[in-house]
Amino acid sequence: MKRKPDFKNGVFHGKPVYVLAIILLIGVLILSILTAVTIGSVDLSVTDVYRVILYKIFGVGDPEIYGTGAMSDIVWFIRLPRILLATGVGMGLAVAGVVMQAIVKNPLADPYVLGISSGASLGATVAIFFGVNALLGSNAIGICAFIGAFCISLLVQMTANIGGRANSIRLLLAGTALSSVCSAFSNFIVFIAGEKNGIQTVTFWLMGSMAGAKWENIVVILPCVFLATLFFCSQYRILNMMLLGDEVSITLGTDLHRYRQLYLVVSSIVIGFVVYSAGIIGFVGLIIPHVVRMFFGTDHKRLLPISALSGSIFLIWADVACRVIIPKTEVPIGILVSMIGAPCFIYLLVKRSYGFGGERS
Amino acid sequence: MNIAASNVKMELSGNQILKGISLNVSNKEFIGIIGPNGSGKSTLLKCIYRVLKPTGGVVMMDGKSLDQYRVKETAKRLAVVSQHNYYNFEFSIEEIVLMGRAPHKKTMERDNPEDYRIVEECLKKVGMQNYRGRVFSTLSGGEQQRIILARALAQKTESLILDEPTNHLDIKYQLQLLDIVKNLGIMVIGAFHDLNIAAAYCDKIYALKAGQIVASGTPEEVITEELIKDLYEVDASISRDKYGMINITYHPLHIQREIAKDS
Repeated sequence: MKRKPDFKNGVFHGKPVYVLAIILLIGVLILSILTAVTIGSVDLSVTDVYRVILYKIFGVGDPEIYGTGAMSDIVWFIRLPRILLATGVGMGLAVAGVVMQAIVKNPLADPYVLGISSGASLGATVAIFFGVNALLGSNAIGICAFIGAFCISLLVQMTANIGGRANSIRLLLAGTALSSVCSAFSNFIVFIAGEKNGIQTVTFWLMGSMAGAKWENIVVILPCVFLATLFFCSQYRILNMMLLGDEVSITLGTDLHRYRQLYLVVSSIVIGFVVYSAGIIGFVGLIIPHVVRMFFGTDHKRLLPISALSGSIFLIWADVACRVIIPKTEVPIGILVSMIGAPCFIYLLVKRSYGFGGERS
Repeated sequence: MNIAASNVKMELSGNQILKGISLNVSNKEFIGIIGPNGSGKSTLLKCIYRVLKPTGGVVMMDGKSLDQYRVKETAKRLAVVSQHNYYNFEFSIEEIVLMGRAPHKKTMERDNPEDYRIVEECLKKVGMQNYRGRVFSTLSGGEQQRIILARALAQKTESLILDEPTNHLDIKYQLQLLDIVKNLGIMVIGAFHDLNIAAAYCDKIYALKAGQIVASGTPEEVITEELIKDLYEVDASISRDKYGMINITYHPLHIQREIAKDS
């Protein structure tokens, strides 16, 4: 008799499967980077693309052809940074999603649930309408968004701690409340300014894009995301306990309060960087953890590394799709991801074999 | 091992839940706490297992105040099986029981074969060794409670707190769970609703009413018709079966009328 796969706690168990999956995903990630770099609006031959990369990294080949010129610039200054940025952003969003879901003990949380996205938009709006470019340079929007995101997440923690220790419910309430305050202020600024260009910039920025990828950002963001991912992977036991709640965790020897604050700070730094470099990209941080849970279960020991790799791979291909889906136009990645993500999410909800926690029929 | 509460007071949102409780539990004793709903049983236990911090008085473990221990230290010496076990996420049985090893682990330390051996052994002790891969939420109430017991056992502690663990369990599982606990030969402090059960397992019983201890001693000394009337405002008669087990028969209103007619 054929057994129906049970998606409640994943279908793949045991260490060998998990190790195999990790190796496989690393392979897929490397292949994805190498394939994605050959795809773009300008038609370049596959060999040329790799020769440019080979020349830039190892100094192999003819500097006249591969070191300078349009082809070299497209590969080295446009495509590769973009793909590496997508790798970092995807990983950051997926990991932050997993961590947020643990922190607020709610499977519907995403990296932006505690007001980070509204804080970022407020920062960006301020930057666009009050013209702080002169003060902060060309990426003023990103910097303000980072500051906004980070400040809001600290503010959410402070608010949740007023009159008692913050727990997941208080965090969630504080996040929701401060998030509406921020959107109200952003909307107010937009309304008062009434400037068409500014509104368009804000809207476009909120849709998310990898187009702003630059090497100087990547060398900061990629290591940051990577270190944060490693850090959270080492914390799997405490993340597991977060899902059991504060009381049980104390009886298991861990007071979650301190850890929750630490994790929030680390993930808001990661999300701050993501927002800084790519705007707001929804759904990745929600969908990836859930899909990985369906296959590998809730245990963070497996969930975190697999989500990190899957997030990267997913976003690389989402970015490729953005570039090629409509010729000569780039669809904002936030829109595309939601277009793919939302139906996936509904499919998961309808498919009751995956519990999502909550009550089952 | 010794756990002693002296003059423990607890105030929750203006209500004095515990009004100065003192108790002393020593090695391998099986202690029961009985009392009506809202008498403070759970609150007292929570003060002992550190989820609540008493507003007055002190709980001592081996002569040292609980505050002087790190939570990790107390988790190595005191495990808890409580009544509420609803999780928003799906864990497998093995993952849940493995979490019982957490107090013995450093942050970066990996789970080693010894941990898995202990998980296996604890699952065997509660008779759930064939359920390893199953998802926790798909188990029945009795099975879930046995898994939580297995997790507590995996902590390898010298004492165990049972916070009304047998609520919602049918009689088979109530007895099964408590038999397992009784056979462990460690210190047990439990809150019980069922007086027959409490009398059958406990070495010593504390009766709690409105945040105060109104009686303590062996089941024979504590569980009397007068005390039951005092605690629960219920008429009952107490008898013994041929093995000397205490048996409490409650008298509902229609039986009370019969009794009144007879006399």
